[in-house]
Amino acid sequence: MSAVLHNLVNQPYKHGFVTDIEADVAPKGLNEDIIRLISAKKNEPEWLLSFRLKAYHHWLTMTEPHWQNVHYPKIDFQDISYYSAPKTKKKLASMDEVDPELLRTFEKLGVPMHERAALAGVAVDVIFDSVSVTTTYKQKLAEVGIIFCSISEAVHNHPELVQKYLGTVVPVGDNYFAALNSAVFTDGSFCYIPKGVKCPMDLSTYFRINTEGSGQFERTLIIAEEGASVSYLEGCTAPRFDTNQLHAAVVELIALDDADIKYSTVQNWYAGDENGVGGIYNFVTKRGLAKGKNSRISWTQVETGSAITWKYPSCILRGDNSVGEFYSVAVTNHYQQADTGTKMIHLGKNTRSTIVSKGISAGHSNSSYRGLVRIAPTADGARNYSQCDSMLIGDQCGAHTFPYIQVSNNGATVEHEASTSKIGEDQLFYFAQRGIGAEEAVSMIINGFCKDVFQQLPMEFAVEATKLLSFKLEGSVG
Amino acid sequence: MQAFDHVSAQHLPTRRDEEWRFTDISPLTQLVYRPAHSQCELRLSDLTPWLLQEAKNRLVFVDGHYAEHLSVIEDSSHLIIGNLQVLATSHATALESQLGRHASCEHNVFTALNTAFLNDGAIIIVPKHTVVAEPIHLLFVATQSEVTNYPRCLLLGETGSQVTLIEDYVSLSQAPYITNSVTEISLNANAHAKHIRIQRDSMQAFHLASCAALLAHASRYQAVSVSLGAQISRYNLDVRLADEAAECAIDGLALIGDRQLADTHTCIDHSKANGVSRQQHKCIVDDSAHAVFNGKIIVHPHAQRTNSSQSSRNLLLSKTAQVDTKPQLEIFADDVKCAHGATVGQLDEEEIFYLQSRGLSAATARDLLTYAFGAEIIDRIPVTSLKQQLEQAVLSRTRRHL
Repeated sequence: MSAVLHNLVNQPYKHGFVTDIEADVAPKGLNEDIIRLISAKKNEPEWLLSFRLKAYHHWLTMTEPHWQNVHYPKIDFQDISYYSAPKTKKKLASMDEVDPELLRTFEKLGVPMHERAALAGVAVDVIFDSVSVTTTYKQKLAEVGIIFCSISEAVHNHPELVQKYLGTVVPVGDNYFAALNSAVFTDGSFCYIPKGVKCPMDLSTYFRINTEGSGQFERTLIIAEEGASVSYLEGCTAPRFDTNQLHAAVVELIALDDADIKYSTVQNWYAGDENGVGGIYNFVTKRGLAKGKNSRISWTQVETGSAITWKYPSCILRGDNSVGEFYSVAVTNHYQQADTGTKMIHLGKNTRSTIVSKGISAGHSNSSYRGLVRIAPTADGARNYSQCDSMLIGDQCGAHTFPYIQVSNNGATVEHEASTSKIGEDQLFYFAQRGIGAEEAVSMIINGFCKDVFQQLPMEFAVEATKLLSFKLEGSVG
Repeated sequence: MQAFDHVSAQHLPTRRDEEWRFTDISPLTQLVYRPAHSQCELRLSDLTPWLLQEAKNRLVFVDGHYAEHLSVIEDSSHLIIGNLQVLATSHATALESQLGRHASCEHNVFTALNTAFLNDGAIIIVPKHTVVAEPIHLLFVATQSEVTNYPRCLLLGETGSQVTLIEDYVSLSQAPYITNSVTEISLNANAHAKHIRIQRDSMQAFHLASCAALLAHASRYQAVSVSLGAQISRYNLDVRLADEAAECAIDGLALIGDRQLADTHTCIDHSKANGVSRQQHKCIVDDSAHAVFNGKIIVHPHAQRTNSSQSSRNLLLSKTAQVDTKPQLEIFADDVKCAHGATVGQLDEEEIFYLQSRGLSAATARDLLTYAFGAEIIDRIPVTSLKQQLEQAVLSRTRRHL
């Protein structure tokens, strides 16, 4: 490995710094009182508190799952602080009133939101350690009737919508981490697209984790009414810490008749250092319900960060002719572990799903694709196409594929393909012949390998993702 | 005794166990079947439908017990073949070092049970550089009802040897019984074995089987397994490519209807470099039957230049038929070529139309295509008479209109 490549690989995490903001941190530990405290801090109505308590009691009866192909020391759930909020002085009227320290954080991360918002025409709902600080472009969206705000705001301003849909796609007792999230979630995004409205811009949120030792429990709820369509982006970076941080988010999508939801994620949380110390545990439950006829839910993800990524963005295709899509690139390096994939549950007639998953492992990392395609007896004419390819870089890493295919209807057609390969010497030689150096060649080959997925990303994310990938992997080959 | 400890240490698998997730064997747990007794009143004429003219050597086991009067051993000069009880003393060292060494009792309660109840079995040792041209036929006949049989086989292929082994499970009645069989195969360097396994138990039977094969340097293992019978059947095949340049080719066919359940779990373990494996598994599922396939391919670190392909193809013939398939790859080496694919579907309407345009009725076209789907696997069987028997069996299943 040349010195240049070596430097590239061992480049320290660019976004690793801690902003010193006086945080309002709840005492460590989890019990009913903490849940009541979170609920009280957020001024929540009674029904939400009982939702949380129900989830908490459910959680107490559950045990941590162990079937996944990731390994980590046991999490002490009593050693986590479940609430941390930047101290609010007063309600903010404009950007100028935002804590300058906070603004500097965003500056450092290279996403000055006013600029970014203006340049890209993106409304950014900024989540800074659990509390939504400010929301931009709200008015513009409000004009067409779109509600885009933090979920705590939605609880106050649109309780009927939140109450109607919250927990309907991911029930409180769905799995261990979803139950935990339902009990202690602090904030997240809420988006409601009314009937027939095409969202005029891409919606996006940025998640950051700050305050050492506080887990982040985000909750996202997106509802697209009949004929509505929305594209939602989620991007993540987090400061560097040595103790592992748990992140257990829940995302619920609901698409009614003819609605279309596209959810894109670029995840680049701190992955731990080259020895596998530190890094985020990203245990997320993401699920979309294609409830109405001809509805469509599309997940696109680029997973490059986190010490452990463990998530399966899923689609429940209930409406007839509904469509589910999953496009994923998961990159692991050093000692990262990723167990990710999707579930496509076909219930309605003529439902279609596509799965394209690309896994790239380097260093000592392990990445797994785990997917389920289930065709229920009611899903006449259902169609699935899955493709999951892995690429290994180096002989210390692992790539795994666990596709589950369950078919109970003979009218269905299911296809699954998987392959594993590496970057060939001959490919590199071909590039070298044409005067392209190893790093650049690898970057190009990898971008080609992931092209099917990147094409699904909105423009600025595609650029970011391409950069991220070369940044993560260049130099792993040498 | 160790096997007994393993039995008592384990519980019967339920659907909560990942390895048994799709196969509910609870009907089995309600049965109390004692081991079969050794009385045998069969005559050779009873076995006519299953006899193979090509096979010079035939070992017949009735309800798991060796039936000497039905067996033929012609070739004992350059081949060691016989039942365990006879060979136990003369070949004690070879048997001691091999029997029970390949099929692990630790994670499979049924293998542990078989080992614990081990009474007799088929032993085949092919000496160095010996080529056994004619296939060896092991016929396991079930006659008693409501009993458990524990068939056992051990095949040792010494350096440079070649052999074809047919393991054949048949039944004289349609009675319920349990067959719990274990086969162990060990191939030394450059040895070559073809292993054909036919399961045509009674439709009321429960068939639980496992086979473990260990492949040494540059050895070759070719397996074809066909599963037609049994109410619930489960076949575990573990192939370990323990040294460089070993090769295996595994083909499987499950043809089931009614309320049958056929479960095939295979694990191909590439431990060393330059291994080659190819696998194709097909299921034809009719009525309310349920087929399960779980194919795992593991490529260990340093098993570089492994070339492995796997395909699982499933044909659903009725609305209530069900398939669960899970082709699995676990890869820890970078310079490998691994691919797997899985398809589930019904007969292609265009193909049916094509045949109709050539004057076949729609029903006949369907039968023909179904037969052709299965015939691809049966064609890989190198024994003509057996192939014909199976073709007839498949035809009678698929031919409702031909």
